[in-house]
Amino acid sequence: MSVAAFIVIACMLTAYVLLDGYDLGVATITPLVARTDREREGSMRSIGPFWNGNEVWLIAAGGALFALFPEAYASSFSGFYLAFMVVLWLLMFRGVAMELRAHFPSAIWHQFWDACFAGSSALLVVLFGVAIGNLLHGVPLDADGYFAGTFAQLLNPYALMVAIFALVTIALHGATFLVVRTRGAAAERARRLVPMLWPAVLVLYVAVTAATVSERGIGWTWIDVIPAFSFASLAGLLLASLHKRERRAFAASSLFITTLLVQASVTLYPYLVPALPPGRGGISIFTAAPSPVALATALTVTIVGLVAVLVYGTLVLRRMAEKFDV
Amino acid sequence: MDVVIADRIQFAFTVMFHYLFPITTIGLAPFVALYTIEGARGDAEAERAAAFWTKIFAINFAIGVVTGIPLEFQFGTNWAIFSATTGSVIGQPLAMEGVYAFFLESIFLGVLLYGKGRVAPGLHAASAVCVWIGSWLSAFFIVATNAWMQHPVGYTIAAHGRIELTSLPAVLLSPFAWWQFVHVLCGALVAGGFVVAGIGAYYLLSNRELALGRRFVDAGVIVALVFSVLTVFPTGDRNSANVTQYQPVKLAAMEGLFSTEKGAPIAILGMPDTQTRTLIDPIFVPDVLSFLAYGNFRANVNGLDAYAAQLWPPVELTYYAYHVMVGLGTIFVAIAVLAALLLRGGRLFRTPGVLWLLLLGMPFPYIASEAGWVTSEVGRQPWIVYGLMRTSAGISPTVVSGEVIFTLIGFAGMYFLLGVLFLYLVLREIAVGP
Repeated sequence: MSVAAFIVIACMLTAYVLLDGYDLGVATITPLVARTDREREGSMRSIGPFWNGNEVWLIAAGGALFALFPEAYASSFSGFYLAFMVVLWLLMFRGVAMELRAHFPSAIWHQFWDACFAGSSALLVVLFGVAIGNLLHGVPLDADGYFAGTFAQLLNPYALMVAIFALVTIALHGATFLVVRTRGAAAERARRLVPMLWPAVLVLYVAVTAATVSERGIGWTWIDVIPAFSFASLAGLLLASLHKRERRAFAASSLFITTLLVQASVTLYPYLVPALPPGRGGISIFTAAPSPVALATALTVTIVGLVAVLVYGTLVLRRMAEKFDV
Repeated sequence: MDVVIADRIQFAFTVMFHYLFPITTIGLAPFVALYTIEGARGDAEAERAAAFWTKIFAINFAIGVVTGIPLEFQFGTNWAIFSATTGSVIGQPLAMEGVYAFFLESIFLGVLLYGKGRVAPGLHAASAVCVWIGSWLSAFFIVATNAWMQHPVGYTIAAHGRIELTSLPAVLLSPFAWWQFVHVLCGALVAGGFVVAGIGAYYLLSNRELALGRRFVDAGVIVALVFSVLTVFPTGDRNSANVTQYQPVKLAAMEGLFSTEKGAPIAILGMPDTQTRTLIDPIFVPDVLSFLAYGNFRANVNGLDAYAAQLWPPVELTYYAYHVMVGLGTIFVAIAVLAALLLRGGRLFRTPGVLWLLLLGMPFPYIASEAGWVTSEVGRQPWIVYGLMRTSAGISPTVVSGEVIFTLIGFAGMYFLLGVLFLYLVLREIAVGP
């Protein structure tokens, strides 16, 4: 049952990265592809109806982690205190920028919020990357499972490499999304951005994977077929984009990110917060889980709710997803 | 600064600032939904009302969402031991809030804000209703979480000291939670009613948007009347009864009752002083507290002297917050009754004095709601989970006072900016008009 709970959390976070990933990605590439006020408004409008619901995946995953693995929630959030607070502030800035920009018709107002929107989103992706990097890398923990390192230790070379990888991958994801949702000069520039970002994603993927294997000292198992899917989806992304198969390119990008998160989850398993150095244990899904009754209740309630969300969310939001001209 | 105090100030500040916005969204959601439905049925005036209130709602919702994000995670960042110990219980309603309420609210708010003309009018109106349901569900789950901290049920204490959930229905269906939830809803609806009536009064007094202004005053006053009465009775009364039964020391602090008495009086005014353990310059109504608490004028009511001083909540804050809430609640009933009487035959619309009262009354339901929560939360001290876990035992072991003060200053700066932006944008929307 702990395993099922691990899978539920992993699925929720994957949904978050895929969905809010395109919001953050669109925001990150907006300064590169949208040159006029109208174009920047267009890129905000492409995610406008969706971003808030997408962000809920993160909030809900936080709540689910709280219920399913209280000790992991407590240890990781208090351990990464400052980093976490910065993430919260950036999430706030991003949300405010999205929602308040349109309420006042002034060029100066728009420019300010456009800069906040792009800056906070790009930084968020970097920080999420640093977080994933540190989880994969392992975290210094004391005997009670609480963080025993410093803020500066979180910014180690491996985590920074993962962060840059996250930034280019999410930028690519956002570019494929903007092309699906909008027509016009900005969309054209986003389309041209895809083949430029692509090689960077490929190189960093290989580098991060190699570094992860050497860092964690993982042997070869059947799970190593996943990178084959990663490479295939990455190749499909480029081909689809070059052939102007926009939806396919976005789907390929989503598949690529999913394979990355599957690899990350498999690397972590059975730990939620692995200790440093590798092999020293950490907070695992077995030590952090509550009683079977509590776990079963939380799992049932969460899964039922999420299935309902997927059904009505898909039904409703599909009607809002038509392409528009900028 | 003591790290426990720093953590408490940070939580109090972020949650009190945040709560200003949900009050409005909970209270306005039914107005937005009903105007949207009437608009979809072809009432052009209601359509303009819906568009106007949706804008106000959206600004509130945006600030409410962004200030709500830290709260979901602050349990973990600042209250790690509390979270690790009780997570299997309180993580439950919090996770449900995300999965059952936030998604509903957010997804359908997207349709409500961006979907006009893109989706069928029926779906657009249904979205407004879903946002309404979502905002109330969210209120329910968060109040259920708090109610468990006030009156823990449905749990067991495991061998390693963790508090483990045994029954989710016991947590969600606890009468303590339901009375608290209904009381919170009523308070928010009083705020919603006063806001709608107050802005209507503003348009009438400015001699513009007369038709809509009348409509707003009319609807707002009725809602304010119904729910200000319900806030007092039965919901306020039942909450007091729960406090009397489960948290008698909180009751004594709320009432400033230092010594145990048969036929305890109720203090209308007075300044509690913990040094001399007296209420200074009180105005008492004799025997009434005994009656309100136990239905008998001669009943014995325990004063603070019946409990060790370490078990007292901060008496002054609990007392004043409670008196502010009750005093304002009484005034709301009076204003709402007066305005409702004048509504007959439309005399209210020609009575500038009462329209001014409605206009200036707008901020006070917010103050009353915040004061109610201060009573409830400060009065819960020194417990973080009543009777089970002390607040001082719940903090994060790795987070020191310096860090909390730094982030508290960060939140203060950020929220000051948000507050200014909010006021500016909302006042601008009101000035621009429907």
